[in-house]
Amino acid sequence: MEFFDIKKNWNETNIKVGRGWKLDELRIKSNTDLHKLWYVLLKERNMLYTMEHECNEQVKLFPNPERIDKVQESMNNIETVVRERNVAYYQLETGETGERPIEDVVSIFGIPEKYSKKEYSIPAFMNKRWVRPYLENGYINSRAVKKFLRLYNEKKHNEERKARNRDYNHVQQLLKRFPDMDMEALKAEYPNVDIEKAKRTKKARGHCLPKY
Amino acid sequence: MSTRWYPIYQRGNPQLRVFLPNFWMKLVRPLPQQASNIVHFQCSMEMTKHDIKNYLDKIYNVPIIDIRTKITTGRFRKDAGKGYIVKDDDIKYAMVVLPKTMTFEFPNIFEKKKGDLEDDTKSLEETKKSFRKYINRNKDRPDVPSWFSI
Repeated sequence: MEFFDIKKNWNETNIKVGRGWKLDELRIKSNTDLHKLWYVLLKERNMLYTMEHECNEQVKLFPNPERIDKVQESMNNIETVVRERNVAYYQLETGETGERPIEDVVSIFGIPEKYSKKEYSIPAFMNKRWVRPYLENGYINSRAVKKFLRLYNEKKHNEERKARNRDYNHVQQLLKRFPDMDMEALKAEYPNVDIEKAKRTKKARGHCLPKY
Repeated sequence: MSTRWYPIYQRGNPQLRVFLPNFWMKLVRPLPQQASNIVHFQCSMEMTKHDIKNYLDKIYNVPIIDIRTKITTGRFRKDAGKGYIVKDDDIKYAMVVLPKTMTFEFPNIFEKKKGDLEDDTKSLEETKKSFRKYINRNKDRPDVPSWFSI
């Protein structure tokens, strides 16, 4: 069974291994090579899982557990490269990426959502159960949903307003405490605050002669 | 034969081909003693019996007679620090029957080699050695902390 490490590494405290495969190294490999390498890595990962499990069973330390991460990272990189090639091929052939399409939809509660599309055996308009809430007298136009949306939007608006006020007050305090500070950095930190306006307020004036 | 997302199968469609399976399997020690041709595995939760058979047959070249699977519930336990309830992951086991002629014995990985010291003496020796190394290195610079070095 190839589920175990080679005998030399049994009962070792330190097993020396190299690094994982990098993206750029995998990009210059052919598809066949990547396919073969995938199975090598898959077997390696199974082996490491087996050894780790056995070590835990026997209450021993698993030597160099970062090996699992290295293998996993290499596998992720292979997947990335294969995906890149797939996208390139599809764009050449069809002009689309060939990735799973994501659509902006309105959920049953009237909230905009991202929906990653999937295949169904029947088209959407034939799916009576799915269509029902979106009809004119459906759930999406009901009083309950409208009330929910009203309250939900109010809550969101209040959160925004409070954040705006909080930032504005904070900037005023900062200007009072550190009048010589870097205005560019402040602008970058709080892009939504009108700093010129904040400078002129009473709160921004310190216990000293005003500079501006 | 993988946990990725595939188009749905409709009659007449071509057979599904999987090029990069991402299932894992690990060989575990069977808890009660088993017949010599039975091997226990833990595997990905999504694997079916057909998947397991194909996986072992095609990737590991192990002929399979029969497979039985079971899913064990993860333990419910209290978190050590906060005390809330934590559920461990469920585990899928696969009991695989090899042909009569094949035997498998779980190897003893932690067998002592000849001339090997006991575990505690070994670690003590190692600690002593590293301490001696540290003393030797810091002979000329007594006030320098231990981490200040390459």
